[in-house]
Amino acid sequence: MMWKEKYRIGVDLIDDQHRELFQRVSDFLQSVQQKGDWEQKTDKVKETLEFMQNYVVEHFEDEEAYQRQIKYPEYEEHKEIHAKFRAMINQYAVRFEEEGFTQELVQEFGGKLMTWLIMHVAASDQKIGAWVREQGGEGQ
Amino acid sequence: MKVAYVDPFVRAARDVFKLMMDLETHRGELWACDELIPSKEASVVIGVTGDLLGSILYSFPKEMTLKMVEIMSGMALEELDSFVASALGEVANIISGNAMTHLNTNNYNCNIVPPQIIIGQNVSLSMATPRALVVPLKTRIGDFDIFLTLTER
Repeated sequence: MMWKEKYRIGVDLIDDQHRELFQRVSDFLQSVQQKGDWEQKTDKVKETLEFMQNYVVEHFEDEEAYQRQIKYPEYEEHKEIHAKFRAMINQYAVRFEEEGFTQELVQEFGGKLMTWLIMHVAASDQKIGAWVREQGGEGQ
Repeated sequence: MKVAYVDPFVRAARDVFKLMMDLETHRGELWACDELIPSKEASVVIGVTGDLLGSILYSFPKEMTLKMVEIMSGMALEELDSFVASALGEVANIISGNAMTHLNTNNYNCNIVPPQIIIGQNVSLSMATPRALVVPLKTRIGDFDIFLTLTER
């Protein structure tokens, strides 16, 4: 399980989505790392990957909408970080198209996805919670 | 190579290990070496450009690398495969990025180039580098080294 309680920012909407996102990434990594014939797993990997990519985009949209709603001062910077991440995902989508869903490439993508998500939620997103608390809003 | 360039990397490594893996790092004694050669099984090289030029080499023992990625992923791992290598490369990339932020606040404007991951010990990197400073960092899951060769442009 990748999720840790310390990742909570104290805003239920965001925390629930983060927990879900960590669960999806965790499931994805488990299907990628599971022993067995790679060829037999590619359909499942492809399906999980597509689902997760969509979920990431939806989550970013919700999180950005929430930031606008609370007039988060670092909204633009945060949006830029999301945009860079989307660009990274898109670059891999192109590589999957061109090079195929090889085990090596999918694993490489998995490593990047996991570290990015942990760092983003453990560092950048914590600032959103801190802002909400400063404003006297919801939070721990 | 000034000793002052070392601190930003030590601070960044300490923060990233704490944040991503809940691990404390303890700094060992600094030493100098003539070449940039991976001292341990899993290494990451990152180039630095801008006001400072050179390379950073992070070198981790195999067991420690697996343990690091296990802590992050919550999965048991046995091999230094592409998933582990990619995650390790990103951790080194994040540490280096944070070190660049520290250097920038000290008025050195630097950037990093994407990480290159090397699996295997004593692999020659075929890079003509000046003497490197090596900072050993100890954690409860193992010890790793950061080699730095940075010169002012």
